[in-house]
Parts: sequence; structure tokens; C-alpha cells
Amino acid sequence: MTDVASPLPLAVVGVPALASVLVLVSRAHPDVREAWTVLASLGTVAVVALLVADDATHVTPLGSLAGVDLALRADAGGLLFALLASTLWVATSLYSVGYVRGLGEVGQTRYFAAFAASIAATMGVALAADLLTLFVFYELLTLATYPLVVHAGDAAARRAGRKYLAYTLGGGVLALTGVLLVQVLADALAFVPGGIAGLSVADPTLARVAFGLLVVGFGVKAAVVPLHAWLPAAMVAPTPVSGLLHAVAVVKSGAFAVYRSVLYVFGPETASDLGVALPLAAVAAATMVLAALVGIRQDNLKRGLAYSTISQLSYIVLGVALLTPLAAFGALLHVVAHAFMKITLFFAAGVIYVETGEKYVSDVAGIGRRLPVTATAFAVGAAGLVGFPLVAGFVSKFHLVAGAAAAPSGVFVAAFLVAGLLKLLYFWPIVYVAFVGRSEGTDPASRHAFAPPHADTRTASGSHVPAVPVAADGSGPHPAVDPGDADSTRDTDRDVAGATGTDSASRWERPRGLETSASLLVPVVFTVGMAVLLGVVPTALPFWELAETAVEEVFG
Amino acid sequence: MIDHLLPLLVAVPLLGSALPLFVAARSRTLARWLTLTVLVGQTALAVVLARVVFATASVSYDVGAIPAPFGIGLFADRVTAALALVVAGGALAALLTDHRHRSGPEYALWLLLVAGLSGVVVTADVFNLYVFLEISGLAAYAMVASARGVDPALAALHYLLVGTVGATLYLLGVGYAFVATGTLAMADLSVALAAAGYDSTLVVTAFVLVAVGLSVKMALFPLHAWKPEAYAAATPAVATVLAALGSTVAGYAFLRIVYDVFTVAFFEAVPAVRTLLLVAATTSVVAGGVLALRARDVRRLLAYSSVSQYGLFGVGLALATPLSVTGALVALVGHAVAKGGLFVAVGSVARTHGVRTVEEYAGLADRAPLTAAVVAVLGVSLIGLPPTVGFAGKWYLALGGIEAGSWAVATVVLASTMLSLAYVGRIVERCYLGRADATPPAGVRADGGLPAPATAPVVVLVGAAALVVALGLGSSALAAWFEPVVEGWL
Repeated sequence: MTDVASPLPLAVVGVPALASVLVLVSRAHPDVREAWTVLASLGTVAVVALLVADDATHVTPLGSLAGVDLALRADAGGLLFALLASTLWVATSLYSVGYVRGLGEVGQTRYFAAFAASIAATMGVALAADLLTLFVFYELLTLATYPLVVHAGDAAARRAGRKYLAYTLGGGVLALTGVLLVQVLADALAFVPGGIAGLSVADPTLARVAFGLLVVGFGVKAAVVPLHAWLPAAMVAPTPVSGLLHAVAVVKSGAFAVYRSVLYVFGPETASDLGVALPLAAVAAATMVLAALVGIRQDNLKRGLAYSTISQLSYIVLGVALLTPLAAFGALLHVVAHAFMKITLFFAAGVIYVETGEKYVSDVAGIGRRLPVTATAFAVGAAGLVGFPLVAGFVSKFHLVAGAAAAPSGVFVAAFLVAGLLKLLYFWPIVYVAFVGRSEGTDPASRHAFAPPHADTRTASGSHVPAVPVAADGSGPHPAVDPGDADSTRDTDRDVAGATGTDSASRWERPRGLETSASLLVPVVFTVGMAVLLGVVPTALPFWELAETAVEEVFG
Repeated sequence: MIDHLLPLLVAVPLLGSALPLFVAARSRTLARWLTLTVLVGQTALAVVLARVVFATASVSYDVGAIPAPFGIGLFADRVTAALALVVAGGALAALLTDHRHRSGPEYALWLLLVAGLSGVVVTADVFNLYVFLEISGLAAYAMVASARGVDPALAALHYLLVGTVGATLYLLGVGYAFVATGTLAMADLSVALAAAGYDSTLVVTAFVLVAVGLSVKMALFPLHAWKPEAYAAATPAVATVLAALGSTVAGYAFLRIVYDVFTVAFFEAVPAVRTLLLVAATTSVVAGGVLALRARDVRRLLAYSSVSQYGLFGVGLALATPLSVTGALVALVGHAVAKGGLFVAVGSVARTHGVRTVEEYAGLADRAPLTAAVVAVLGVSLIGLPPTVGFAGKWYLALGGIEAGSWAVATVVLASTMLSLAYVGRIVERCYLGRADATPPAGVRADGGLPAPATAPVVVLVGAAALVVALGLGSSALAAWFEPVVEGWL
């Protein structure tokens, strides 16, 4: 694989960045503004696809910052992440349009501009050729996502934003210290598959400190316990933000940075010589189990998904820390699989919120009647995350467990299996409640089996706070502004839902026509379809080959 | 003219300061234009100087053709050129953003300030440095007082008292050095001080007095108290020019004296002094940050932020490794641009929207989106995040600290990021997420209309933000510019 100088890697970063500016400029024309986002997302996928299709590795030098040469290099691992993020951006752009318009959100220009900027930063993290470039885009990602976290503008959003900044920039300071140490120890920051040569001969204590700093610093974004607390708090952000950014771009950037640090900065041999991989693996295993446990008790749908994300990310970190080709392959596949599955779940949660205004599992009993496609997609995604065959999660988990089986201790296999069981316990109540529960019912099937009831539970008579959806920032009932849909049937549904009925008939009526707007439904179907495709024919998409190439490069 | 470039850098603003005095009687606008023209000329001279030192490593000049040790020597290398450009450009930009119709004497003071600062930058004689330091100081005191009112008068008095004490301490130090060596020219002093013995009481005392005197001018903790008062009480343009240039030139002077007069051998001979400097600088970093967290008035907050940033500069200076001194220089230039830009922004919104405290900044992004965006970008540079020049400075400083084995120092430099995040984050969060009051702002004019934001501040603001990012992206080039001088020092 030869390196060839080319502007394409820069284009991958530049297209979303340009889109961000164009969105800001077209604030007065919402349709033009949305067009920029969609066009840019398609353009970015196109450029990444070009890079994937080409055998040569494209490199764009980016000048130098503070004496260190920066560059973007589209190698296999980076392209895997870039392809994933750009594909999901297409889906999320479409979804975002439906979502923000469906809720009548304020600040839509800022939303789309910050979104595009975040994607640009994520592409930069993916394609960074060295630690400093990665760090620069990593911090830019924090800055670009902050406006999205605080989008709602209320006190809770501000608190969440402060927490987010404190954690991620604090992690950034630690990571920067680690980068500086690597520079001092090895005099080189460029990623080398298998590790930078200078580190293997450097002072072991300092090298361990550098490893620790890098892993902890990047581990904040990868939501490794105990650095995870920002993620559930950040769920106050709009659902597409939570979905793409906090289940895909931001947290995956953290996991990806850990992947780069362990395998491309230190390398498998040095890492095992220094004895630092085992502690990392232990922390990851603990995170997997602990987060899954906490998630079971969450009634708030998005918070529960946040804990699930924390747990699943540690699958990736553990896969990397096991330092075997099989485990690393599983980790890379899981980056992709988890992204598709988790974003499906978030999309579904968002549809539920737009259509019904509900955020808690207990309040959406029987939603399968009202939103059959959405709920089915949720169930499929959940099954994949648990590890059922025919969905993407099975393939990646299989390789992860196989990789763990080769490790000296069997405790990691046990951790995977226990976490899988806990996942089942987490998802099953939700799926059950959604399909079997009844919305005004008081039977056990209509309540979340394990979670304590949330603050504003129903009144004794079974009537509920108005089901007319209220936007997150407290603005009034949203107008029906969905672009392409037969509105009459949905209005009827909403009227039925809006009745503070004392009758015991279900709130949810079967929809006539599409259950929600097309721009919300199509992305859900797309992502769950991709998850199934990856589960049934894993090699159909380039991800498999890219992961294989990356693992080959690192382990030889 | 090229031959006499160095004295021209001082003479042009000095003589030019007389012009507004006469012209203002006829037309204040003409006086303003005259001042601006002089400043443009000064900037052009600085650019020419930069080109000259790029071609030849350094330029020397004996004023009146009287050689040292009797005459006054002037000297310029790459660091000088950079600082001269900062002084001229900064003063020009600050005056452009000034909306007040000033009197003749006020324009004269502005040019005197520039003359004094430029003199400090180009001089090669330590006593001459004192003279120019005092010229610029006196001009600064008067400019603070020109805001008219009780607070500015008191602030100016405080500034005058503290500043004079500081300058006097510096003079004492110079005096002791003269007693020890018999010369005042920097080049001769460096040789003579070595001969006198770096660890002799006289030399060490001279250094400490000079250091304390200049620390007063740089406003390092705990000699900083004059700064928040002076910056908060002065008019916006005066606060801008003082914030951007005042302590910057004092920092340059400190750097020059430490490395050209006392040289790094002094640090090696008397390590206690170096340790003391490091401790003082790191204390300043932390103290300035903590004080900024508690400040309510935004200009006071920015002044405390400067205390912290000059602490970082002091750290770089005291570590005495090539990387750390490069970091100090990059941080110095970067801070001048960022702080100057921030004061322009703060002054602009104070005038247009009548907001002065952090609380009142709530919702500013709706009323002044461009200004809020610029504040955010410049704030990012203060925090020290990539790709701004603030990050580049921190990188070099921290790298220098680690390479010198000073782990505690490197930790403080990096941890200061979190402190800066806290106080900058307060402002930016208020701007974008706060809700503005319904009551009309206090800055409404008597006729009931809001003054429109002028174009000049907008241009300067956008320029500052662009420069901060450009210097960051080009930080390698900036470091390369300073490299020959730094190598010569260490």
C-alpha cells in the first residue's frame, strides 16, 4: 500500500466544514440551508467512497503547528471510521430535518451548522496521521458539539454543557500531556501500525505514564467508567444529536483515539511489554458490566440508551486492550455494528418523542400498536446489541469473544457473556412493554419491569399530562409541518392521543398511512436495514475488508 | 533612511506627538487623522525593520555617532522587529476603534506612549530603557486619567504610584549594575557582569531589583493590583492599547535583560534566582486564574486573566530552555493580539449595549452576534485550545517544561487550561445561552437612539480573530522567526 499525496483527505474534512459556513450564511432560507446539509453529507460519503475504492493510501500534509508536522492520512482504520460516520451523517441529516421541523425547534441554523462542523472534526479525527493532528481535531470536536449539547438553552442544558466541557476538555488536558510525553520520549508523533519505534526503547515508567495519560484523556470521550458521567447528562440534547454524536461520532472518536494510541502509538508488543494493556482491559470489562447494570434501572429511554452506549464502547476498548488480531478485528467491526444499531435505537426514541411526546418507557406501553415499524426496528436493533444472530452485533461479538478466549485469563469471556445477559435484561422490558403492554393499563406488562417509576408518573385515574407533544425547550405544541405526508390520518391519531381520556381504550391507535413523517421513518428503516445486512452478509460492505486490512497492518 | 531606521522608530512618534497639540485647536478630526497617519508611518517603519533584520541578523546604531560606553546604543534583532510591529500595529488598531473625539493633548499622549514603548523595544542601553519606560508610563497614567471622573482619577493615581515605585526599583537595580561594572550598554554589561562575578551580592541584588521592577510593570502576582483598576476605569480604546502593549513591552524588556545582559550563565551560577522566578510565575498563573473566576466586571476579569497569562510567560522565561523561551515569545505575541481584540470587543459592547459585568452579558449573542463570535474565538486562544496561537504557546511551554524535567511546572501550564476554561466559559456561556433583560441598556444615548456599531471596530475584531488563528496555524513559522535569536541566547 503506497502513500500518495492527494487533496482528497482534506476534502473529506473540508466539505462538511464548508457546509457549516454555508448553513450559517443561508439562515434566512431554511430549505436552502437543509439542502446544503444533505448535499454535503452525500458529497462527503462520495469522497470517502473514492478513498476506500483506491488501493493507495492518500495523504494530505497540513503544514506544521508548533514545530510538529500535521497531516491527514486515509489508512484502513481511519477510512472505516470515516465511512461509518459519513454514511450515518446522510441518514441523520434526513432525520434531523424531520425532527427539528417536527418539534418546531428554535435555533435550527445553529443546530445544522454545529452538526456539520462536528462531522468535519470527526473526519479529522478519523483521518489524522499523527497524535497532534488527532488532538487538534479532537478538541475542535468538543467545541463544535458544545452548541448541540446546550441546544435547548434551559438550565438543565447549560448544566449538561458545563459538565460536558469540564469532562472533555479536562480529558483533553490529560491527553495533551500524554502527547507531549510521547513527543519527548520518542521524538515522533506520527501513527505507525504496530507502534512508534522510539517508545519501545524509552524509559518504561515514563512510557507507562504516557500510556495512562493518553488512555485516560481519550477515555473520557470513550465514556470509560469513572469518566463517563458526561454522557447521560448530555442526553438533554436533541435526539439526532444524541444519536449521531453521542452514540457515534463523539464517543467513537474517543474509542478510536484509544485504538490509535494502543495499536499505532505504542503497538501490541510495547504495550504488552509495559504491562499496561491488562489494567486497561480490566477497567473496560468493569465498565461493560457496571454500565449495563445501571442501565437496567433506567426508565428514561435515552438515559438508558446512554448507559448501554457506555457499556458497548467498552466492548471496543476491551477488544483493543486484548492485543490480539481477532479481538482487534472484533473491536473494529463492533465500532460499525454498534453505530448502526445504536443509532437505530436513538432514531426510534426520537420518533416516539416527536409523535407522542413521551420520554419514559413506562409511558409508552403498547407503542407497538401506534408505531409498528419504529418499534420493530427498535426490537431488531436491541436484538443485535444483545448479540442475536442475523443482526450485526452477533458478528462483532463473536470475534470479540473468540479473541478474549485466546487471552490468558478467562475472565474477559465471562465479562462479555455477563454483559450480554445484562443487555438482554435491559432491552427485554422495553420491547415487552412496547408490544405487550397497554397504554392505559396498570398491569405489570405496562410498566418497566426493573426501573423505578419516574417523577411525573400518571395520576391515579390513569389520565395523563397532555399528550400533545411539547418541544424540549418548552415552546408550545408543534405545528404539523412535515413535508411529505398525508396529514389527516396523523392529526386524527394525535387527537385521539390528546384526549385526556378516562376511557380504558388504548391511547394508541393503529396508524393509517405512514406512522410518522417519511423523513423520520426512512432513516430508521435504512439504519436497521444496514444492521441486518451486516449481520447476514458481513462482507457485503467495505467495513469488513477495511477492518481486515487495518488488523493486518498492525499485527502483521 | 534605512541607516537611521532605529532612531526613526522613536523619533517619528516623539516628534509627531507635537503635531496634534497645534492642530487640535483648529480641528479635532484633523488631529485624529494626523495621529493615525503617524501611526501608519510607524507601522511601515516596523515592517521595513522586519525585512532588514530578516536579511541581516541584527542592526545596531549609535545615537549621535557617540559610541558606547558614553553614548546610547540602539539594537534590533528579530525579536525587536516583531515587538516593534506589535507596538505600532496595536496602537494603530486601538486608535482606529476609538470613538471619542479626543483633545489635542490626548492624541499627543497616545503618540508619546508609542514613542516610549518603541524606545524600550529598540534600546540597547539599560538606563535608556528606564527613560523610555518612564515616558511610556507617564503617558499611560495620563491616558487612564483622561477618562475624566473619580474612578479613572483614582485608578490613574494608583497606577502612577505603583508604576513609579516599580520603575524606581528597576533604576536602583540598574544603578547597582553600574556600580558593579561601570557601563550601561547591554552588550558591554553582559561581559562586565560575568567578570564581576554572577554570584556577587551586588549583581544578584541588581537582578532582583530589576526583576521586581519589571514584574510590577508586567503585573505579576502580587504586584498586579493596579491593573484591574486601571483597565476597568480607562476608556475602551485606552484600555485596549494598554492591555495589548503595556505589559507586553515590559515582558520583552525582562526577556532582553535576562538573556542579553545577565545571560543564561547567570541562572546557572545562581540557581536560587531561577527557582524564585519559577515559583513567582507559577503562583501568578494560578492566582490570576482564581481571581478572574471571581471577577464580575468583564474588564477586571480580563485584567486578571492577563496576570495569569504573564505568569505563563514568566514560566517560559525562567525555564531557560530553547523551547520554553520560544513558547514565552509566542505566548507574548499571541496574548497581545488576543487581549487587545478582547478589549476592543468589550469596549464595543459596553458602548453599544451598556453591558459591563458578566451577568449583563446574558444573551449578548443575539444582540451582537459578530462580537460574541469573536469573543468566543479569542477566548479559545486564551484557554489554549488548538488551532489558536494560545495553544501553540502552551505547547512550547509545556514541552519545554517536560524537557527541562520540571514536571510541576508543566502540570501547572497544562492545568491552567482548565482555569482559563472556567472564566472564559462563563462569559461565552452567558453570551450564547443567557436571556437578555427586557430593560433598555444603560448605554442608550440621550436622544433615545442606540449608536450603531462602527465599521472600524468590526474590522479590527475580525482581524484579531483571524490573526489569532493564523498565528496558531503558522506557529511553526513564528517560532522559526525567533529561532536564531533564541539559539543565540541559549
